[in-house]
Amino acid sequence: MSELSRHKRYAVRAGSTGLAALGLTLATACGTPPGDKPEGEGENAGIAEDPQFVWAVTGADRQVHEAVARLWNETNPDRQVDIFFLAPTADEQRQAMFQDLQSQAGEFDVLGLDVIWTGEFADFGYIESLEDLRGEVEGVSLDGPVDSAQWQQELYALPYSSNGAFLYYRTDLIEEPPTTWEELYETGTAAAEEAGISGYVGQGDQYEGLVVNFLEMYWSAGGQLFDDAQQRSTLLEGDAAATALDFMTEAYASGFYAEGFDSMVEDDARALFQAGEAVYMRNWPYAIPLLEGEEGEETAVAGNFAVAPLPTFTGEGTTSALGGLNNAVSTLSENKDLAREFVLWTATDPRAQDVLASHSLPPTMESAYEDAEDPALEVLGGILADAQARPPVPGYNSMSLDLQESLLAGYLGQEEPEAALEAMDRSANEALEQK
Amino acid sequence: MAKTQSVRTRRGLGERAMGRVFLAPSFAFMAVIALFPVFYAIGMSLYNIRGFRQEFIGIDNYTRVLTDAGFFNAVGNTLVFTVASVTLEFVVGMAFALIMHQAFVGRGLTRAVILVPWVIPTAVAAQVWRYMFDHNPGFVNSVLGTDINWLRDPVWSMAGIISADVWKTAPFVALLLLAGLQTIPKDYYEAARVDGATVLQRFFFITLPLLRPAIVVALLFRTVDALRMFDFAYVFSGYSNSLATLSVYAQRYLVAEPELGYANALSTVTFVIVMIVGLAFISRMGRHMVGDVARKEK
Amino acid sequence: MTAETVKPSGPVHRPRRRRHPAVGNALKLLGLFLVLGWCLFPFLWMGMTSLRSGAVALTDPNIFQGPFSLANYEQILDLGFQFALRNSLIVASVTTLICIPVAALAGYALARLPMAGKFALLATTLVATLFPPVALVNPLYQVYLKVYDWTGINLLNSYAGMIIPYVALTLPLAIFILATFFAGIPREIEESAKVDGATPFQAFLRVVAPLAAPGVGAASILTFVYATNEFLLAFSFAPRDLNVQTVPVFVGTFERVGYENPIGQIMAASVLVSVPLIIFALVLQRRIVAGLTSGAVKG
Repeated sequence: MSELSRHKRYAVRAGSTGLAALGLTLATACGTPPGDKPEGEGENAGIAEDPQFVWAVTGADRQVHEAVARLWNETNPDRQVDIFFLAPTADEQRQAMFQDLQSQAGEFDVLGLDVIWTGEFADFGYIESLEDLRGEVEGVSLDGPVDSAQWQQELYALPYSSNGAFLYYRTDLIEEPPTTWEELYETGTAAAEEAGISGYVGQGDQYEGLVVNFLEMYWSAGGQLFDDAQQRSTLLEGDAAATALDFMTEAYASGFYAEGFDSMVEDDARALFQAGEAVYMRNWPYAIPLLEGEEGEETAVAGNFAVAPLPTFTGEGTTSALGGLNNAVSTLSENKDLAREFVLWTATDPRAQDVLASHSLPPTMESAYEDAEDPALEVLGGILADAQARPPVPGYNSMSLDLQESLLAGYLGQEEPEAALEAMDRSANEALEQK
Repeated sequence: MAKTQSVRTRRGLGERAMGRVFLAPSFAFMAVIALFPVFYAIGMSLYNIRGFRQEFIGIDNYTRVLTDAGFFNAVGNTLVFTVASVTLEFVVGMAFALIMHQAFVGRGLTRAVILVPWVIPTAVAAQVWRYMFDHNPGFVNSVLGTDINWLRDPVWSMAGIISADVWKTAPFVALLLLAGLQTIPKDYYEAARVDGATVLQRFFFITLPLLRPAIVVALLFRTVDALRMFDFAYVFSGYSNSLATLSVYAQRYLVAEPELGYANALSTVTFVIVMIVGLAFISRMGRHMVGDVARKEK
Repeated sequence: MTAETVKPSGPVHRPRRRRHPAVGNALKLLGLFLVLGWCLFPFLWMGMTSLRSGAVALTDPNIFQGPFSLANYEQILDLGFQFALRNSLIVASVTTLICIPVAALAGYALARLPMAGKFALLATTLVATLFPPVALVNPLYQVYLKVYDWTGINLLNSYAGMIIPYVALTLPLAIFILATFFAGIPREIEESAKVDGATPFQAFLRVVAPLAAPGVGAASILTFVYATNEFLLAFSFAPRDLNVQTVPVFVGTFERVGYENPIGQIMAASVLVSVPLIIFALVLQRRIVAGLTSGAVKG
């Protein structure tokens, strides 16, 4: 009996612990998930009374997308759109859209696609060809975003938002921003030595950001990943790939790249630059307000930095990789005409594109940059005009995973440059294979 | 006597029926949720599935597995991780068990604290270790005075997830071994000591052989867990090849690069590998464990 | 020095070198501190890092270097981490509440009731504990899509979608542990209840089940811990929606949304989930140890 009561005590103790924990958690977490960020994610935003179609788009920058949709609803009260907010991270967005399509649910009419997904969605038969709308966007949208919306020379989406890279530099250490990578290396090394800090921070970790950093140099040396028909890899043609990789290898070995470059992502670079630890930084526009101290964080560089286009190997122009979103029409949509009209409207209506600009999300229409008041936006306009799309081939994700690995091993000197480049060439060709 | 007779009859019939009724929910549930999906996966692995394009291709996905360098890389990673982490966990766990077995003050406290790494979800532990290793801010490097890219260097990142796994599960192994140690009668040691056996001799000729059942069980659980490991590798380096285990590699073809047919071929092969290794263990000790239940019943 | 170790009744005794007891105790204590330090040092790092804020937290490895604030905790709660805690608690509790009664029935049947092929069934159960969850991910996902198609019930992004496979994956070990416990209960107790007129089921419910309480507790804890720990399936079936997302997924997939490195927030979340689990471990440690070692070492 005492045996029994002992067990009972345990049971009571376990049970009460459990109940206490349950009560505590439920008390703090009753109701539905909270206010600003994840609310509405994974459900319709409910911005239309009688929505005729649904736009699935990332939950990042949601207030911008919502403002765009509201504008459409105001002008088209009989044909309103509702937004389905996806996760802010790329893999999860893609998975949610795949789920909608694979299950034949077809609840999404318009899909907001990352610029590198066009090929995959087209190849899978998930999105409609929009080739007949080419005339509407050519010359109206920036060239780079249009390139990112096509696969094998056929247009499958229309540009919506964009993004490009700046060269951040310290105005107290550098007078004129460099126009070539060599100049950047020399001025950066000298200024770094003098100030006792590092020369350069950027994105050197093994992830998509490294591919972007490499491609920007590779393109600026005249390289192209694929031939025009996107049938085979041209990575090894010419010496652009070797030039870019050699530069990275040299910059890493000599200490021009800051310590820890090989595990650095956007925000690590931003933190170091903000602490006054680097002369140059390659980064997206998001860092500007942080570096100025507008977000309340301590900063050592407020008022002492400026942005410029990235340099090239030839000394002419600039080349940035494009970020951003394109809108496409789902093949399962039951309102394809309406969806097409909406996609075209987000790409080419000046008021829609102005919504983006006024929320600091870079638009894709050329005219949006023409009389920009914000100097950073003006610089960005120049950058985006020459920016390049990462080729949106079906196997882009897989290719990027392989490229990241070879690039890291290559510039760290763990692998011979020739071997690393050959491996990259193989991955690029594999990405084109129609399986 | 008549009464006893009737009880026995009723029991015989009632209990057989009851046994079937009691077993049915568990086995039906496991069959539907675990066994059926395995066959479903095998079915899907015979197709090439790219979005809305699907075609039957027979065993082509399996021949592709056999020529896929990425797959063999994942097999290699999984084996290295399994052998290294299970060995280290055994050594560290044994040391901990011996320490706790010896000690008299603070044993209760230690036995409680040692559970803490084990209850922390692996994904959480993985994030903590990942950031301890991360170059920015560089905690591990500053402690060791090194300058290593723990997350990306193929060799050091493997060392990283192995140490994180050893941290989390060596205590588990220690507890299993400690329970085993406590079943060894003290007299054996006394007798050996009297005969002049050294500490090492006592360990190798008394402790180890008598601990054998506990050791085999600990090794079984750890080996199987290590073979199907996903959390540490994924949190440390996503789908990158440098740490990709079999589970991570299969998942890569589900998510990062959706080829469902091939992904199902990979997960089926993983299933077979884990089962073969597990069965090898169980065939050595399972009769003993299972037999024990049957024996006690008699 | 040797006098104290001599056993008067012992046979021929050779003098041995022996450390001073104080030295031996100091060594044992040192050993204990080693074990404690091993288990706890990541928590020190985690706790301190969760309190650090500003850019210096990303650049300076010294964890005692401020500024310190609770900003990371505020941010993580703003992101809804408390919902992940709630979801994990619900999923793990319901999994346990379903798994254990079902497993108890099966464990009792295997330990006690007469049936054909018992050995094979026990062996099957043991083998089933090996099941790698990765083999479930896609097929179950496809089944969920089909279920949705046929019935309109969406198991993706739902508690049930996680609980169902968790129960299936925890059943084998729970059955095995419980069978071992039931087998250890003297049959006479049960017999006497039956002689008193109880039906087999009543005997099970009134007499055997309470005696198996330690086993039930142990199996429950293991099941609960498994369900709070599981990552791969939760990550595949309920990746994002905070109404159902569990803690491992929240923490394990916490990404640099908008490029910002979230080291402090991740550590704040880790602290918030560790504290209740540590209390859980300390309070129930005896039961846990019994659970971990039952059916294993005793066998």
